[in-house]
Amino acid sequence: MEVEVRSHPEFPGIYEVTLEDGSTRLATRNLAPGRVVYGEKLITYEGVEYRLWDPYRSKLAAAILKGLEVVPIKPGCRVLYLGAASGTTASHVSDIIGEGGHVYCVEFAPRAIRELLNNVCRFRLNMSPILADARLPSGYSTLVGKVDVIYCDIAQPEQAKILADNARLYLKRDGWIMLAIKARSIDVTKEPKELYEREIKTLKKNNFEVKEVIRLEPYEKDHVMVTAEYKG
Amino acid sequence: MIGGILVRATVLGCVIGILGFGEDNNLVDGVTFPRDAAVVAEKLEELEAGKLIEELEELIERLRGKGYTTFVFERPKIAQAVQEKLEVEVRIESITEAGEVLRGNMGKLAVELGFLEDEAELAGWIHEVSMELTRRRVRRATEKRDLVVVQTIQMIDDSEKTLNLFMNRVREWYGLHFPELNRLVEKHETYARLVSKLGRRENFTPENLMKEGIPEERASRMAEAAVRSVGAELQDVDIEKIRMLCGEILKLYRVKSTLEEYLRELMDEVAPNISALAGATLGARLIALAGGLDNLAKMPASTVQVLGAEKALFRSLKTGSRPPKHGVIFQHSLIHGSKRWLRGKIARLLAGKLAIAARTDSFSGKFIGDRLREDLERRVREIREKYPKPKPKPAVRARRRLARRRK
Ligand SMILES: C[S@@+](CC[C@H](N)C(=O)[O-])C[C@H]1O[C@@H](n2cnc3c(N)ncnc32)[C@H](O)[C@@H]1O
Repeated sequence: MEVEVRSHPEFPGIYEVTLEDGSTRLATRNLAPGRVVYGEKLITYEGVEYRLWDPYRSKLAAAILKGLEVVPIKPGCRVLYLGAASGTTASHVSDIIGEGGHVYCVEFAPRAIRELLNNVCRFRLNMSPILADARLPSGYSTLVGKVDVIYCDIAQPEQAKILADNARLYLKRDGWIMLAIKARSIDVTKEPKELYEREIKTLKKNNFEVKEVIRLEPYEKDHVMVTAEYKG
Repeated sequence: MIGGILVRATVLGCVIGILGFGEDNNLVDGVTFPRDAAVVAEKLEELEAGKLIEELEELIERLRGKGYTTFVFERPKIAQAVQEKLEVEVRIESITEAGEVLRGNMGKLAVELGFLEDEAELAGWIHEVSMELTRRRVRRATEKRDLVVVQTIQMIDDSEKTLNLFMNRVREWYGLHFPELNRLVEKHETYARLVSKLGRRENFTPENLMKEGIPEERASRMAEAAVRSVGAELQDVDIEKIRMLCGEILKLYRVKSTLEEYLRELMDEVAPNISALAGATLGARLIALAGGLDNLAKMPASTVQVLGAEKALFRSLKTGSRPPKHGVIFQHSLIHGSKRWLRGKIARLLAGKLAIAARTDSFSGKFIGDRLREDLERRVREIREKYPKPKPKPAVRARRRLARRRK
């Protein structure tokens, strides 16, 4: 079989690739041609380079494969990304939003952000690395303006509250949030299900209208992706 | 105050400069930064630290000239600096209306102030400034952390030495009363704990000992020894002093284990690759011997291999004796757990990997530790299979070589 790439039927900026063996993968168009971020495979099709998007490494890809109905991250979007680490998912976000968009990458581990800076942001003008603590959102107010989407994956207790604090400063009205909740890192003793619910309650209290809750198995254990619209 | 009305301006810093907003939250004035990302990053850092930068001072002066008397800030540190240095009324509000205007219209305002030609340039500018800022912050966050590692490992080693010194004293002292215990309990910490908890040898009963986690068989052996002890009947005041001493020693053991845990965390941050290959303790010793991570990263593998064996190295240079095969890396289980004749080869291999790990930790911070470790283990297995027996004595080979040369 021939390799074939086509636009995702629903989500602009996202692609589906059929490989030689007939299997189908997600991909994004590489904004920094020739550069690999986390060992993902590059595919060139009709003169354009794409990066395969691994759902076992990226919760956003996992959520899409698990049937997410709305992907608020689109070409031209501004995104505030909390917990960018060394840029596995953030680089795909950068691909999707393209040159007209911008992603602010907040991360507080110096080692991780150093890698993000040197290996990823350096080659992508639509990414800005920010070494800061997401729990103190005013710490990056000199750099960040209003955004269309906040993507949050910081594996911290009270993620929903941290996200709400960020939304108050930076999220447009009717903007969207995406929140990856890792049950086990918040409270190991409780049932995962209860934990999603507690965080979701916090979101509702803070003027979010919850749209979808997607389990990420088998790609990520005990994780859900929550999307919501901000009515703040 | 003008005509008795308080005139408030909100003053906010951002990547384009320092901006002032009036009562109706419209931009009234602004002092823009130079278009140099490195300079701006530095200014933003100063601002963050609560230093008064010239742009801020100038804007406040200009706003005062326009009749503004009270200045609102979102950042407490900046408000405080302005109040102290410029002696004006300040207020702090964590989210201001003006701030909302700024965050929603940064591009437009940048054009209005003549900082940018076109709003579309803003994203590129933010990218540039954020790269500079983050580079500076990373440098600051990681600066000197390797020297904290050095102090920590040295403190751990000092505690170890002190504990040995104290425990030898305690064993001799308590030995007056219960000399047999010395040989029955090898581990210093256990010895100190038993003496501290139980005191007189009469209390070394099987039940008490088992409560302290001593296995049954050993407990009864100890209890027996206590009953038959040839030691002296010391007075209670004598025993109490020894118990107190043991209590303090146990505290020092706890300090030491806290430091060891702390060292593991530090090493994961400062040198995760070295740590993955050599463990936190040995890794930290290497950094200490080299005088810092950057120094270690600059050393060739052959130097890493003999770090800590300087004495033997100098001796060999002076007297022509055989050079050392390994320094502290001998503490690695893959070396001291291997047959004697393999140690030199494994030491060379390990030193090579450690040199790569040190460079990666020092320069890029990327994590390749598990790959290095797997590779190391595989190569060690190969060496063990290839050289199951020691090779002939070097003296014999040297003679052979000489013989060949003569031919
Ligand atoms: C699960 S990882 C994120 C992985 C990333 N989203 C991806 O898919 O490529 C969580 C990250 O959040 C960071 N983090 C945790 N707490 C944070 C905080 N308060 N502020 C900023 N970053 C934080 C951690 O250092 C870590 O790199």
